Amino acid sequence: MNPALAVSRRAVAWLPVALLAFTGCGGRGGCTNEYCGTVVFAASAEPTSLLPAVSTMAGERDVFDQIFLKLAQIGPDGATFGDSSFTPELARSWEWTDPLTLTFHLDPRARWQDGPPVTAADVAFTFDAYRDTLVGSQDRTALDHIASVAATDSETVIFKFRDRYPEMFYDATYHMRILPAHLLRDVPRATWQTAPFGRAPVGAGPYRLTSWTPGQSIELAADSAYFLGRPHLRRLIWRIAGNLNNSVTMVLSGEADAVEVLVTPANIAKAKADTALALYPYAGSTYNFVRFNMRANGDRSKPHPLFADPQMRRALVLGADRPQMVEAVFSGHAKIPPGPMPQLWSWLWRSKLTPAPFDTLEAARLLRGRHPSFHLAVPSSSPTRMQYAQLLQEQYRRLGVTVVIDQVDNATFQQLLESGKFDATLESIQTDPTPSSSVAALWGRTGPTNWGHYANDRFDALVRTASAALTRDAAQAAWESAFDALAQDPPCIILYALDNIAAVNHRVADVRIQPDSWWGLVRTWRIPPNQLIERDRAGR
Amino acid sequence: MRAWLLRRIAAGLAIVFVTVSLTFVAVHLAPGRPFLPPDERPLNPEVVARLQHRFGLDQPLGVQYVRYFGALARGEMGESFSKRRPVAQLIAGAVPNTLLLTFAALVIDFTLGILIGLFQAARARRRSDVALANVTLFFYSLPTFWLALVLQLVCGLWLGWFPTAGTTDPALHASLPLLGRLGDRLYHLVLPALTLGLVGAGGTARFQRAALLEALGHDYVRTARAKGLAEPAVLVRHAWRDALLPVISLAGVALPFLLTGAVLIETVFSWPGLGKLATDAISARDYPLVLGTTLLATCAVVLGSLIADLLTAAADPRVRLTA
Repeated sequence: MNPALAVSRRAVAWLPVALLAFTGCGGRGGCTNEYCGTVVFAASAEPTSLLPAVSTMAGERDVFDQIFLKLAQIGPDGATFGDSSFTPELARSWEWTDPLTLTFHLDPRARWQDGPPVTAADVAFTFDAYRDTLVGSQDRTALDHIASVAATDSETVIFKFRDRYPEMFYDATYHMRILPAHLLRDVPRATWQTAPFGRAPVGAGPYRLTSWTPGQSIELAADSAYFLGRPHLRRLIWRIAGNLNNSVTMVLSGEADAVEVLVTPANIAKAKADTALALYPYAGSTYNFVRFNMRANGDRSKPHPLFADPQMRRALVLGADRPQMVEAVFSGHAKIPPGPMPQLWSWLWRSKLTPAPFDTLEAARLLRGRHPSFHLAVPSSSPTRMQYAQLLQEQYRRLGVTVVIDQVDNATFQQLLESGKFDATLESIQTDPTPSSSVAALWGRTGPTNWGHYANDRFDALVRTASAALTRDAAQAAWESAFDALAQDPPCIILYALDNIAAVNHRVADVRIQPDSWWGLVRTWRIPPNQLIERDRAGR
Repeated sequence: MRAWLLRRIAAGLAIVFVTVSLTFVAVHLAPGRPFLPPDERPLNPEVVARLQHRFGLDQPLGVQYVRYFGALARGEMGESFSKRRPVAQLIAGAVPNTLLLTFAALVIDFTLGILIGLFQAARARRRSDVALANVTLFFYSLPTFWLALVLQLVCGLWLGWFPTAGTTDPALHASLPLLGRLGDRLYHLVLPALTLGLVGAGGTARFQRAALLEALGHDYVRTARAKGLAEPAVLVRHAWRDALLPVISLAGVALPFLLTGAVLIETVFSWPGLGKLATDAISARDYPLVLGTTLLATCAVVLGSLIADLLTAAADPRVRLTA
């Protein structure tokens, strides 16, 4: 910040202070110890429901992961194979009775925020709810491999699997937050999407909901008797900013303490220049790509006149100067993935796969003198994707390829995808910690979000092999082969994966970001007593 | 008077019905669908189908139309797709914020605008009048969102004088005493109300100046001056009352403009009002919420113009409200 402005800012800081002094500052009750901290998060979007079984957004997950617990939490290395990296949450311990049977022993200290203990019946109820089509959980199909979940006593619950695969433990623990059966049993499943419980949730986690002012803020208070240790931060508040720019402005002005991702180089530069903020890079879970439609625009019965030809798609992949685009748009704050993967899959990212080269000679050879033209749909909500579209348009123009950019709003963009009325789209995808779910869903012949109708039997077979591989090395080799098959017959142009950078106020200590759930470790954050400010001392 | 009033109310109801019907058809025919995949995480088509069934979107459009107006006749505005709350509840939460913002903006707009207009008319064609004319023209020409961003950047971010977002400080507000809560709310109101008010004041001042200059040329003003009244008394007690009539009409017309301006201001300042609710609803294709906000905005405009007509009649004995 400009020093002159900083002085001016300090000089006028009396305004809110005077306001509080004049009004008696009712909250100055004197909370001054290690457990007083209040952290305000700037949230780009407001949660719809805090009932995890019907949740669909990452912003909701940020909040309800403080209220609800899983049986076990994915470890800091993000490994999804086996169970050795997982840390206990509601389950104190677990064992494999046989290769298809997993037994969890619940922590007897765990209690619901309204008093009753968490029991094995709650776990069985949760599984049943997540699997119920009436509930319409986004994670329903992720539990397909689990045949049954049954409670044998109040603290023991048994998971039976249909088949053996390396991510059995991940599937049993990652997708479900355990729900209170005593509060939800009588709520008709078909109404869960709009159930009042979603606005007044009761969980067994370190924080409980204290207020939710629609359009403005959500406040959680720490449970001082939380069985896994008292959280240091007394209050967590999400301020609804409405969009990324407003979120960043809130953090820069000190009205919020943390924002999970800065995205643009301009935001990163502003946050770096602000001495009140510390930046925390972490592996991102998104990647961006241009998807080709293999079927004719608006007529799925016919092949696409351009993109049904693998050579045309390969020419367009080779004709895109991705290093130049990453530099131009992100000033180096993004990377080119070696395949369809986010930086979160670091074990796969570090494999021998390499991004396709920029080779205009080979691209021109594959185009064989053709001068094709196609429409590229881009969501208007994403300025960075719009920049990418314009750069691609210019690069392809030099190859004799005409790109017509169709900028549409999100709702229209989604409809174009689902109806198949597009030639190509510039998309962003957020993934799970493992490739097993999203890769097949996006690019597999029967994948529910394979909007371009890409079909590659060899790739599908390799994905099945990779998902069933019993060791990390075998899985890595199989995924490499699968992505190699995809590179030979590309369904898309992989463009970039963001370097996620969170900004958190310096007064917050012990900050750790969990890549798959940004604020998942917030209960271990703290604000030292000498860093407390008015908002920490104030309280209900 | 009664016949006039009944006719205006009937016409108003017809306008509301037609507007909401047209909006119903338009939002359903517009490209795009509700239940967007959030955060770049694609929604499973099975989940989308379940949601569409839950909210009755798998029914023919005609059935949905009849159901909507049937529910509306029972006083139900439906349930928001994107917020999963009753539309009436969401609107009830947003209206006070928008009213507060537009009322504050209206006060700034008309107080500043009328005072500047008075000052200019009293010093017509002098240097100060010309200077103020340029200043008011500058503000009148400014895009509201641009001024909002500049004020947010300068007064909020650089100088730190005022908050950049929200209606209150959620970390402090609940712990403040009553006076403190009021102060907190006013403190957060400054930048959004000032933005909206300043742009409006530019126009009001120009309007007031022109009206006053016209009034000052009338015979009754000459008579007042001939009676030996002091110039301020001539200006304020005689000419200004006459010149106020078009400004009152302007107030009625200003409401829709303020509501439109509030849409942008509420987005920039994360102000949870009706405008922000409407823009969020449109981008999410949240049909019940779009219709709910349209219904309310139409009613407000119809009511605003009715009130303006009544005020004009009250201020000007020459105007008679007849059927």
